[in-house]
Amino acid sequence: MKDFTLNLNNDYRYLKTGYYVSMHAEVLGNRVIPSSESIIAASRTPILLLKASKAGIPTVPYLVTGSVQNIISELGFPLVVFAVNPFCYDGYRIARNRSALYRAVRGLSMNYKFAVCAQPLRGEMVSFKSVFGRCGLEGEVARVSMRVYRVFQLPICKLHVQKVGREAYLCGLQPLRIEEVLPADLETVGEEVSRMSRMGEHLVG
Amino acid sequence: MEKYNFSDQREATALQNFRRTAQSMGHEFDFLFREGIPEIPRYDAVFIRATTDPLFTSYVVSKTAWELGKRVIDDPESIQICGNKIHLYDLFERHDVPHIPTMFLNKEDLHHKRLVEVFETLGKPIVVKAPYTSFSKYVEKVACETSFRDVAKRYFRKSDMLAVQTFMPTAFDWRVGVLNRRTLYVCKYMIPKGRWKHGAKRRGKPTFVWGRTVALKTENAPSKLKEVALKACDVIGHGLYGVDIKEFNGSYVVVEVNDNPSIYAGYEDSRNTDLYGKIIEYLVD
Repeated sequence: MKDFTLNLNNDYRYLKTGYYVSMHAEVLGNRVIPSSESIIAASRTPILLLKASKAGIPTVPYLVTGSVQNIISELGFPLVVFAVNPFCYDGYRIARNRSALYRAVRGLSMNYKFAVCAQPLRGEMVSFKSVFGRCGLEGEVARVSMRVYRVFQLPICKLHVQKVGREAYLCGLQPLRIEEVLPADLETVGEEVSRMSRMGEHLVG
Repeated sequence: MEKYNFSDQREATALQNFRRTAQSMGHEFDFLFREGIPEIPRYDAVFIRATTDPLFTSYVVSKTAWELGKRVIDDPESIQICGNKIHLYDLFERHDVPHIPTMFLNKEDLHHKRLVEVFETLGKPIVVKAPYTSFSKYVEKVACETSFRDVAKRYFRKSDMLAVQTFMPTAFDWRVGVLNRRTLYVCKYMIPKGRWKHGAKRRGKPTFVWGRTVALKTENAPSKLKEVALKACDVIGHGLYGVDIKEFNGSYVVVEVNDNPSIYAGYEDSRNTDLYGKIIEYLVD
């Protein structure tokens, strides 16, 4: 019998239990949320942005490189910089001038060993929890949150979005720390699980 | 590519062979390094020659090319499966691919009762493998619970699971190169004297000692060997793979399947010189 697996975890990082649960469910032939492919894609900022923009989610241009010169000549200032390395999963740095950019790239690339993902900063950065796409915010930010969930299906995560006027642009995604998951979030999870069961999904685990 | 691909003369020569072959077939072939990632949309196909892992830049390159609809070796799914031995052996179990007896352990399994079970099931010594092993790194042989705990604790820092396997000593491992579900080349990767794997760290030094590579014409390789290699690749995809196989008591068991297999001039290509053309043909098909 093929089952549907809803894999609930605050931390879906690659090589962690949250990842292995989805991977093993797929090997068994089960449908699973989130898929192991989505877990990896969502945690690599350039892939997240590429897949999101293909799905019509607003993003800003980005550059994957280890070169500060390339970033300055292609994107200018100010910038928001994300890590693209196996060790950093959280946060970003904002660079408004050359020395801040050097510091950001040096730190996030682990002394230029890895690339970084730089994006122009056109507005204000907003970071928030997304639980099944619900974020408790309004307007375009809420729309981005829901659309990211529809594409990547990560039930619990933190999103980084740029607000430019009334528009919102996806910038990055990261796992939540366990202490960031509050009772209200668990209620949202409970509601969503009930909704899935009502819709006829046979949940395991 | 990464700069280290050119540090070994035989690999550098193989890369030049790829370029020469592509050009002789009427194609353009450029070497792109990390700074060239934004150039990917300009190309029809991408051939990655770097250590691959879902956490490395090479995966970003592969996935970007794939999402843009390019032909890519190694494709992201192959990197995802081959880059994680837990995923690989889980698929082998599911699809009955003959492989070395394997057990998976998580952090909660690191207690006396469970470890006794592991040694009873797999014998002594056993091989402990981190899921992200490549080039013979992060694979260690242990014969007692204390050594096992030491190794496991190190590997558990990065991964919540690891694989343990029966130790099967052999004089060499077969390496079968497979492309698009066809055998591309066959070699024997000899185990250096006094060691138990093809690449072994020199005691007290950061360098590795590698065994010889003996190539065979694919048609001269045992047909059962090729059959097992193809069956292992079938559960992964139809890209380029290097399948490591042990011949033990007359049967063939898969050690692992590697995406991005090494191709060194004078080694893998010495009896199958057409492998460059076949790979280029697949990329432009």
